[in-house]
Amino acid sequence: MITVKNLHHSYSRDEKYAVKDVSFEIEKGEIFGFLGPSGAGKSTTQGVLSGLLQLQKGEVTVAGYNVKHIKNKMFNEIGMSFEISNVYNKMTAKENLNFYRKLFDVETREPEDLLEMVGLGDKGNIKAGDFSKGMKHRLTFARSMINNPSIWFLDEPTTGLDPAIAATIKDIIWKEKKKEVTTFLTTHNMHIADELCDRVGFIVDGELILIDSPKNLKLQYGEKFVDIEFVKDGEPIKESLSTIDDKDKARIKNIIDNYEIQTMHTKEATLEEIFIKVTGRGLV
Amino acid sequence: MLKKIWAVYIRDLKVNTREFITLYLLLIPIIFAFVINALAPSINDTTVKLAMIEGDNPEQVEYLENFAKVSLYKDIEKVTERVERRDNYVGILPEGDGYYIITQGNEPAGVVDFTKALQALYVLDAKVEDSTAEIISFGMDIPPLKKMLVNISILFTSVLGGMLIAINIVEEKGDNTISAVNVTPISRMGFILGKSMTGLILPIYGSISIILITGFSHVNLLQMMLIVLSASLLSLLIGFVEGLANDDMMTAAGSFKMIFLPVAGAVAVAEAVSDKWQWTVWWIPYYWTYKGNDAVLSESATWPQILLYTGIILALSGAVFLLLVPKVKRGLESH
Ligand SMILES: Nc1ncnc2c1ncn2[C@@H]1O[C@H](COP(=O)(O)OP(=O)(O)OP(=O)(O)O)[C@@H](O)[C@H]1O
Ligand SMILES: [Mg+2]
Repeated sequence: MITVKNLHHSYSRDEKYAVKDVSFEIEKGEIFGFLGPSGAGKSTTQGVLSGLLQLQKGEVTVAGYNVKHIKNKMFNEIGMSFEISNVYNKMTAKENLNFYRKLFDVETREPEDLLEMVGLGDKGNIKAGDFSKGMKHRLTFARSMINNPSIWFLDEPTTGLDPAIAATIKDIIWKEKKKEVTTFLTTHNMHIADELCDRVGFIVDGELILIDSPKNLKLQYGEKFVDIEFVKDGEPIKESLSTIDDKDKARIKNIIDNYEIQTMHTKEATLEEIFIKVTGRGLV
Repeated sequence: MLKKIWAVYIRDLKVNTREFITLYLLLIPIIFAFVINALAPSINDTTVKLAMIEGDNPEQVEYLENFAKVSLYKDIEKVTERVERRDNYVGILPEGDGYYIITQGNEPAGVVDFTKALQALYVLDAKVEDSTAEIISFGMDIPPLKKMLVNISILFTSVLGGMLIAINIVEEKGDNTISAVNVTPISRMGFILGKSMTGLILPIYGSISIILITGFSHVNLLQMMLIVLSASLLSLLIGFVEGLANDDMMTAAGSFKMIFLPVAGAVAVAEAVSDKWQWTVWWIPYYWTYKGNDAVLSESATWPQILLYTGIILALSGAVFLLLVPKVKRGLESH
């Protein structure tokens, strides 16, 4: 449903690429997670794929449309939830959705139903300007579903939401997947990425480092981590270390030799730990 | 496509009725019209202005004052000077036994005919009491001051649309909603057209309200719409530019004072400066709007004249458009 070949993007239109030589494909009905530290190029990639940013270099097709020459009707197939919520503050939640649905040529969902889904069922007649940040974000998310998109771009859909609501959003994404919706998901929430994504891509400094399924990644790295809690200078310290990486192995030995161990057990690596291991970078 | 353009317009309209300042702008044409009507009795009275020589024939002056505003001057030279000013003064000067009428040439035919008739009636010694007919009305019952105020209000209305467009664009920028609209099937052109509707519909509704309320409903509406809409295109363009250039509603609306200066200048020159200086404001499109509407309101406009003025307005606006295009392009790219 989405193919990306050698995508480059430079905001300054020179050699300073925010996204550099990125290639991947996403199958119909797949949830593809895009993970990377801040400024890695996630939103930029999503911007080009969704037609918000002009494709400069490389080839991109979305739902069979060539993104180089975008046809307006392509947008009937696309849903986009923005990283920073963007709704009309002077209009109520319901008016926002009612206006937006009129811009599509395809059948659209009922605003009431969408608001209900994201827990804003009783807030439909309140001006978006009076919403909290999280409520606006949910409205932006709800709006992205209004045209029943077959391709769904979600940029940080759970950021700033409390865990219960984040779980609701996760359930909604899961339900949409059952309808064969293809989803491009950017998130910092590793639990959600882990649970939802068929595959994840790690992007750092505009370059895609690796693509694999969370399951494969864990098979490769799982059960190969130890959590060690020990006391150093009277202070309790906790570290997670790989049992196969030479540097980490030396570190484990050093701790055992020099400090008082309190607890120590092996565990399955989290996506975040794997990310750090693979890219040498943190996720924030 | 039309459905989407309409949706964009209706959204703007809805939001505009919610804020005091935008609601006020929407209602200004109606407010103006009622204010003109409230002032009307005092400006309705005398429509024809005569310039005559002081002390030449007090009896005649007294008689004519029943039907027109008479101003007295020392000599022929002074009367001639007065007549040659921009407004519609007509001179009545003695010559031998009789009198002759001098005009500048640009007075409405009705004014001149009325003056001739008045003079004839005086010579015939017709008394109002004697007459069963209404002497006053020769179709010359359009008070110039009222007409001027109506004309200025209509001109103002054609600028208002641009102001609202600027405010609406500032709103979209502030809420970041243009990106959301960009991922829907409405084309960029469709969105721009939807945003432009306010700049056309407000002047139409505004000018029609004004002429209905102030009693000019018998004028040629088609001619008036042509003049009003061509001027509105320019205001609309300026609305887009100011909307893109400003991030605050009040400064965007305030930036329109830049337009009011040439508007006021055009009106002032058209009304009060002699013919030989009119060319100094030819470059202001709103000058032609004012002149066109003046002719329409006086019901003396001809189609060639209206088409000519419309053509001039569009040509001048086109020049402004070419000047502003780079600015608009830059503005749209960065949002
Ligand atoms: N509009 C812009 N103009 C210029 N540079 C930009 C613009 N947007 C992003 N960038 C730059 O491009 C790079 C990638 O940014 P991008 O927003 O894609 O990162 P991200 O992975 O989405 O980060 P985050 O997790 O913080 O959302 C960054 O270096 C950023 O500074
Ligand atoms: Mg981002």
